[in-house]
Amino acid sequence: MKEKFIAVIVAVIFSVALAGSAVAEEINAYMGTSPDNNAKIVKFIKDKTGITVNQTFQSFGEIEARAKAEAPNFNADMIIGCGSPLAFMAKKNGWSTPYVSPGWKGVAEVFMDSKGDWYNIANFSFVLVGNKDRLAKAGYKMPESWKDLLDPKWKGEIVMPSPLSSGTANMMRFSFLALYGDAEGWKFIEALDKNIHHYTRSGNAPTDLVGRGEFMLGITSDENVKKRLNDGYPLFWSIPAEGTGYDGTYALIFKGTKKLATCKKIIDVLGTPEFSTLMAEIGYVTPRPAPNALYGKTLPKYIKLDLGKAAEDKPKNNDIWKQKLRTDFK
Amino acid sequence: MAAAELSVKLQSSSGSKVKDFLNANLINILAAFLFLLLAFFLLYPIIMVLIKSFQGPSGFTLQYYQAFFSKNYYYQSLYNTLLLGVINTVVCLVIGFCLAYMTTRGPWILRKPLKIISLVPLIAPPYLFALSLIILFGRNGLVTRMFDLHWELYGFSGVVISQTLAFIPLAYMMIESTLMSLNPNLEESAYDMGASEATILRTITIPLLAPGLLKAALLIFVMTIAEFGNAAILGGRTPFLAPDTYTMITGESDFNMGSVLSVVLIAPCILIFFIHNYLLEGKKFTTIGGKPVASEPRKITPLIKVPFVIITTVAAGAIFVCFAVVFVASFYKILGVTHDIVLSNYLDFTSNQAIYNSIRVSFVAAIIGAVIGVLLAYVIVRGKFFGRTFIEMVSLSGFALPGTVLGIGYLLAFSAPPLKLTGGIMILALNCVFRFLAVGVEAGISKLHQIHIEIEEASADLGASFLTTFHKIVLPIMFPAFIAGFIYTFMTAIVSLSAVVFLVSPGFDLAAVKIFDAAVYGEIGIASATTMKLVLIVMICMMILNYISSKTRLGSSMKKTVAV
Repeated sequence: MKEKFIAVIVAVIFSVALAGSAVAEEINAYMGTSPDNNAKIVKFIKDKTGITVNQTFQSFGEIEARAKAEAPNFNADMIIGCGSPLAFMAKKNGWSTPYVSPGWKGVAEVFMDSKGDWYNIANFSFVLVGNKDRLAKAGYKMPESWKDLLDPKWKGEIVMPSPLSSGTANMMRFSFLALYGDAEGWKFIEALDKNIHHYTRSGNAPTDLVGRGEFMLGITSDENVKKRLNDGYPLFWSIPAEGTGYDGTYALIFKGTKKLATCKKIIDVLGTPEFSTLMAEIGYVTPRPAPNALYGKTLPKYIKLDLGKAAEDKPKNNDIWKQKLRTDFK
Repeated sequence: MAAAELSVKLQSSSGSKVKDFLNANLINILAAFLFLLLAFFLLYPIIMVLIKSFQGPSGFTLQYYQAFFSKNYYYQSLYNTLLLGVINTVVCLVIGFCLAYMTTRGPWILRKPLKIISLVPLIAPPYLFALSLIILFGRNGLVTRMFDLHWELYGFSGVVISQTLAFIPLAYMMIESTLMSLNPNLEESAYDMGASEATILRTITIPLLAPGLLKAALLIFVMTIAEFGNAAILGGRTPFLAPDTYTMITGESDFNMGSVLSVVLIAPCILIFFIHNYLLEGKKFTTIGGKPVASEPRKITPLIKVPFVIITTVAAGAIFVCFAVVFVASFYKILGVTHDIVLSNYLDFTSNQAIYNSIRVSFVAAIIGAVIGVLLAYVIVRGKFFGRTFIEMVSLSGFALPGTVLGIGYLLAFSAPPLKLTGGIMILALNCVFRFLAVGVEAGISKLHQIHIEIEEASADLGASFLTTFHKIVLPIMFPAFIAGFIYTFMTAIVSLSAVVFLVSPGFDLAAVKIFDAAVYGEIGIASATTMKLVLIVMICMMILNYISSKTRLGSSMKKTVAV
């Protein structure tokens, strides 16, 4: 009798455990913005369309690696938020499904692919952040130029993301290379490396690390800075005199998805002015003009970039980066 | 019960030839089936990793190994990893032994609290300790600011400390269960005859414990070099193989180099596995027999007692403080920056979903794992077919498999049709099943060694079919092994990160991965709260399990979590 009782309990738990919760319209997406912002976007889509978006947090670089590894059998239906290298690669390799969305009518052409293979839902940049308390205690001022970061007094006090896992870091790298030219650019990166404490996995991590006072300075993605300031982190942020780089946050539909109609609905809603407003409130520069929470009315000074070339050069630059910055044996 | 009767009826109605054939060969059929499972879900993925490490764009190549062995960076990484493994194993064994000794032989008053403190971290992710070390000793940590310390947490020493704290519980659990099954009469008679505590320890306890210690050492070494949470969070610029492998796969999708790193990681583990098997040849007697007995506290000489008490207090204190810190941090919006106490960290819905997924995955894995483990143990001990030792070796090899290897292996083996399993719950569950199978198998084998085959033979002579014998005699005896396998798989699967991190997909986030992401990202509050929720929920699950099994005649077996 007892055995039967246990068997029943086990069977019940087992079946409850196995039962899924799939009823409503839902899709799986790779989303590379910060966990907070991912959640905001998911909520926006749910509110506007009723579609549930399942996602796990990954950085741009990780989504790129994952898409490369999985192609052509993707485990997601679409991407909402990846960097330009993957967006361009997907179009070139035929991993994306072209779709000309009526929702994006009137948006400037730089924000979308002519065939509709990808849509850029928001531009982001990188900024310099500093911890107010730590800087005040040390008696240091925020650096005004990127070159100021090479001062030995910052040794071990700067964090930035690793281009091996972070799309933001890749953007920093191609921006510095574009700013100084290849030869001088690598010299700058190598000299900067002497002062870098370590390279973080995600492009936003330096904001938090500096905000909590673990390090004095960070080169970080701008997407979370506004939020962290509002949360009360003692942060300075600035864009040094030479300017900053930029990359898009791309959305695309994977080839082979069984939920094409649902994906299209999502692309449509990402082109609405309301979505641009949401992203601008976070601090992004958006396809449809909206008041920007971080930069205000005047956009920052941008370094002149060729995103196509940057995407092509990425593997080569990763190799050089590893060769130059990973040598010491203690 | 009814099912068995039904199957008996079915058999008697079919021809007696079929029945005889089944009775004679069922065990072989079962063995073949189990071997297929092992081959498919354990060997095949590992072979895929091996192939990938030799497979260039144009066929066989050694270029990736060449790259590994010609770069200083990788040497450094390998060196750090091995050093970490060795330090960690030694320290964990010493502390684990002291703790286990105090909770089984020490004064009553210390036993319960020490035991609880040492076991609770088992159900928290190992990198909880990295979190609390940052909160306490980070550059802006509480202790750092209070005493104006200049200790650099980010680096080798930080990783060693957090990783050691993380694996003390495992060492404790394994050593304690061997100590418990050690018959205290031997030690007590020596004591009565006037031997000093030190002599007893040196000549009786430790030698008898050797197999258990060896097994614990192997398991800790393998787990510690593969579990990369602490190293990824606290490593700074100090390279370790496991986090490097992780970046190689998830950041660069360089599967060739990732496979090479895995193979390099697996080599020392396999070596130790064979050394361990060799040393244990014929020494199995100590691990079996003897029911768990609580021994009376003895007078321990100060020479032993003082260092033991110091070590256990420091270790248990450190574990307790780390937990307390994470508990406190879970209520702060930003610990150390603002002083708002909030509940928002606990209300984060995505982490609830991840915890729910984790429990589902671990539960499914534990059931399947325990069943397969028990059946495997049975065919290994009772079967008389060719290749029995091979099956035994393969099913116990889980002890020596770093999680990253099986994670990458599954990604390589099961991500393309027709074997596409990625993107769902089953790949996560199966991965855990085959990684943690060894404990269930081992427990089953030692249980079966305790009963004589004559009982089964008698049953067969009296006319019972194979299935009846199995159901009426073998299963009841094996039930404790089933429970041991179940609990070990459940607990390890729920907190382990190193393999599943490669296999999660949108919609199937797991708590361990979620906490890791939050910690790496810097969201200490969310990471802490998720950890606390996970610990609480797992504790409730364990209590329910405990209740169910104490309602049966097999209650006592529950306490012996791992019957090694």
